[in-house]
Amino acid sequence: MHKRAYGTAAVLTSAALLVSACSSTSSGSSGGGTTSPSSTSSATASPSAVSSSAPARDANADLVIWADATAAPFVQALAAQFAQQNGVSVAVQIANDVRGQYETAFKAGQAPDIIVGAHDWLGELVANGAVAPVQLSSDVAAGFNPLAIKATQYNGQTYAVPYGVENLALVRNTALAPTAPATMEQLIATGKALVKAKKATNIMADQMGKTGDAYHGYPFLSACGGGIFGTKSNGDYDPANVIVGGAGSVKGAAAMGTYAKEGALSTNIDSTNADSLFQSGKVAFEITGPWSIPAFQKAGIKYAIDPLPSIAGCGKMQPFVGVQMFYVSSAAKNMTVAQTFVTSFITSEAAQESLFQIGQRPPALTAAYDKVVTSNPDVAAWATAAKGGQLMPNIPAMNSVWGPLGQAMADVISGKPAAATFKSADAAIVKNIKSAG
Amino acid sequence: MALQPTADLATADPGRGGRALGQRWLGWAALALSVVFIGYVAVQLADKGYTAAVIVAAFLALVVLALYGTRRAVPLKYLLPGLLLLLGLQVWPIVYTVATSLTNYGQGHLVTKEAATAQDIAYSVRQVPGSPTYQLSVAVKAGSPITTAPLAFLLVGQGGSLYVGDSSGLNPLAASDATVTSGRITAAQGYTLLNLKDANQRKDLSSFAVPTAGGGGIKASGFNTAYEGKAQLSYDRATDTVTDSSTGTVYVSKGARWVPKNGQGEALPVGWKENVGTRNFTDIFTNDTIRSGFLGIFVWNIAFATLSVLSTFVLGMLLALLLNNRTIRGRGVYRSLLILPYAVPAFVSALVWLSMFNQQFGVINQVTGLGVDWLGSPWAARAAILITNLWLGFPYMFIVCTGALQGLPSDVLEAARIDGAGAFRTLRSVQLPLLLVAVGPLLVASFAFNFNNFGLIFLMTKGGPFLTPDAQIGSTDLLITYAYRLAINGTAPNYGLASAVSVIILVIVGLMSFPGFMRSKALEEVS
Repeated sequence: MHKRAYGTAAVLTSAALLVSACSSTSSGSSGGGTTSPSSTSSATASPSAVSSSAPARDANADLVIWADATAAPFVQALAAQFAQQNGVSVAVQIANDVRGQYETAFKAGQAPDIIVGAHDWLGELVANGAVAPVQLSSDVAAGFNPLAIKATQYNGQTYAVPYGVENLALVRNTALAPTAPATMEQLIATGKALVKAKKATNIMADQMGKTGDAYHGYPFLSACGGGIFGTKSNGDYDPANVIVGGAGSVKGAAAMGTYAKEGALSTNIDSTNADSLFQSGKVAFEITGPWSIPAFQKAGIKYAIDPLPSIAGCGKMQPFVGVQMFYVSSAAKNMTVAQTFVTSFITSEAAQESLFQIGQRPPALTAAYDKVVTSNPDVAAWATAAKGGQLMPNIPAMNSVWGPLGQAMADVISGKPAAATFKSADAAIVKNIKSAG
Repeated sequence: MALQPTADLATADPGRGGRALGQRWLGWAALALSVVFIGYVAVQLADKGYTAAVIVAAFLALVVLALYGTRRAVPLKYLLPGLLLLLGLQVWPIVYTVATSLTNYGQGHLVTKEAATAQDIAYSVRQVPGSPTYQLSVAVKAGSPITTAPLAFLLVGQGGSLYVGDSSGLNPLAASDATVTSGRITAAQGYTLLNLKDANQRKDLSSFAVPTAGGGGIKASGFNTAYEGKAQLSYDRATDTVTDSSTGTVYVSKGARWVPKNGQGEALPVGWKENVGTRNFTDIFTNDTIRSGFLGIFVWNIAFATLSVLSTFVLGMLLALLLNNRTIRGRGVYRSLLILPYAVPAFVSALVWLSMFNQQFGVINQVTGLGVDWLGSPWAARAAILITNLWLGFPYMFIVCTGALQGLPSDVLEAARIDGAGAFRTLRSVQLPLLLVAVGPLLVASFAFNFNNFGLIFLMTKGGPFLTPDAQIGSTDLLITYAYRLAINGTAPNYGLASAVSVIILVIVGLMSFPGFMRSKALEEVS
């Protein structure tokens, strides 16, 4: 009776939740606008259950994991192994927007036990008290890529177990451009020749869009010694020290403006067409990450992954390094199983190796990395491109950065002066951080 | 549920008595079923601990019984379902939004003060420097129930030394009493070991700690390992302060967070939810960014809604008038084709239009050769939005007008023709006023919908292009997308502030719709 009953109650609570969620954003909207997760799930709690509907926490399983659609099948395969070894049942559920849906579920007391996601969610999860600390013993932690371990930490506490590292690199169509450009200037020369010969429509694809994209534009700032936040003495990012308006960032922005005039950067290239331009062979270079590769392989494009080029008068472009990891919810109803799964099972070499299949990201565990690198040359290429890259900030203040910095980049690309635009973006970011408290 | 009238008929007409009796039983069965359903829901709610909701459910059951079981209030029988939906789907969200607008509910302020403090303390637990990591087996004393008996930790320390820990402390375990397999104790005399599933049922496991000398405790990390951890923070209820034992910093509660008393250093990460009165509203009216942005966005919002309604209505009406002409052949085909844009989901159409408006790759610039930066310059972006909305909206107006035109009395049109009115004069003086009576309220509704047309703006431009220095105020922002960015998407999600903006929008839309409805009523009197 008890277990069957949860279904109805879950539907009712999620309905109530939807009402409240909608009301908090748009009480006056007469429908048609808001997209909210619908909650109709009927996942069975067998060890091999993957529920594809928008998640409503499966109450019968001994462990509930939420992951996005790409990660879920591989997490599921691992979870099934774990379930069999330990005599428990595990449900892996697909969430389209793990971060947002987790927050909603957490507020409603319906949180899953584990979520799979990127490391830059951490600061926000900690501020909400939504994530549980994870105790990795020093010898286990020593087996991981140090940058990946750093990504799991916030204010000196460890909160997650990493499995993959991702970053931007220069992906090149080897049929159009046989040699890797060392500098942006070489890249532009090659690209211009291709455009002139009608072999390409653009010199390079770097998704920017009309409102900009701070993630894909950041390497231009880092090349010239700029960036977003300064660091504290312990190496953590300091939200009180915004360097968007600093000399290095402005120099990088000026370079962006120059390249835009040459036609290498364009606000007409956005997330909807960047990959398809490269895929259809209409552009020889794209600045992108491992997530784009499966589509390129499918399209039969011969590609090479090179480190980002350097900028004349500055240095090498450095991408942000992102880390994918397993978080344990602070509201986990199966805390013991969840902690066991992440600390003893996900840290194993075999698990990390099979998680490599999610988007082909280089594994965070050094032993697993060493193994996959022998069979997959791309892995080493991504890792080389990550060298010197900084971790993407995981502090909540980052939320205040994306909008103003992205727009500033788009404006500079559209021809506005770099210094003034970036200085005012800096001021807007500082103001936003202040008002966010 | 027309129960009583049929029951009355039963006495008057013996021939129909059987059927009426059947209907009567059906009615009672439906009534019983709905009460049982409400009871079922109430049980579930009670299970989850929602006391207030249980009371509401019980009250609801009483109302249903009193209404449909007696004939005291026959009109209410018809009104109750609508009334309940009105309360549940309209009134309650408004009440909830207003209530939320008076709090600081948002990122970092989701839970109660107690929960936030407990979480801050939990986050401060660090492994005691130099302490070992143990291999753990969770156990209870042999012969005692595994679900309730006091927990014991069977531990293998560094160098293979064995321990048993319980709530009294850590003691050595004789090697002869235990079996160790691959570094873990797999059996011990006098203890029953728990497997993972049983251990998971012990919800006290995550808070259990074997006390150690330094004031810390040996805690389980999952099911296989344990470590000696110590919380750096402690809460003092008497002074309402939190103290960090490692640095000596004292934290006091301020702005719904724990901040250092001496003002040096950062606040603790987790804050709590509290009532802030009308602060969200005063923030909106005193913040420069919000104030300066508000007026421009407000003007564009009205212009957008007005122009959208006008353009879609005019196009839809003209097409309807055209296809109302009986001399056109294949009118059915044309009509079906014109309704097509309405049948395609709006978000698909919007995304298709979005790619057509791309400056370099879009079909519009390629065909016209204009080279307009449609989505990158403010006025072009506004035009692009209006064009897209015209495409999305005209079929609706076309359908409505077609229906209304077909309902126009033909004698009036005939009279106009006999009086010598031309086509235009007939349209202006006869058809249009009559049409407006029918579609007037729909135009008002369309205005209200477009006033809050979040989906279109969000899919097309996300409110952009933005005008630096301020990436908060977009050229195509509506109040609703502006509120969304301001409070949820832009910086830290702040549901309290978002609710306050929603309340203000609600008031504005209400005030603007009121004269519209008044006016449409006036038209009704004219006819």
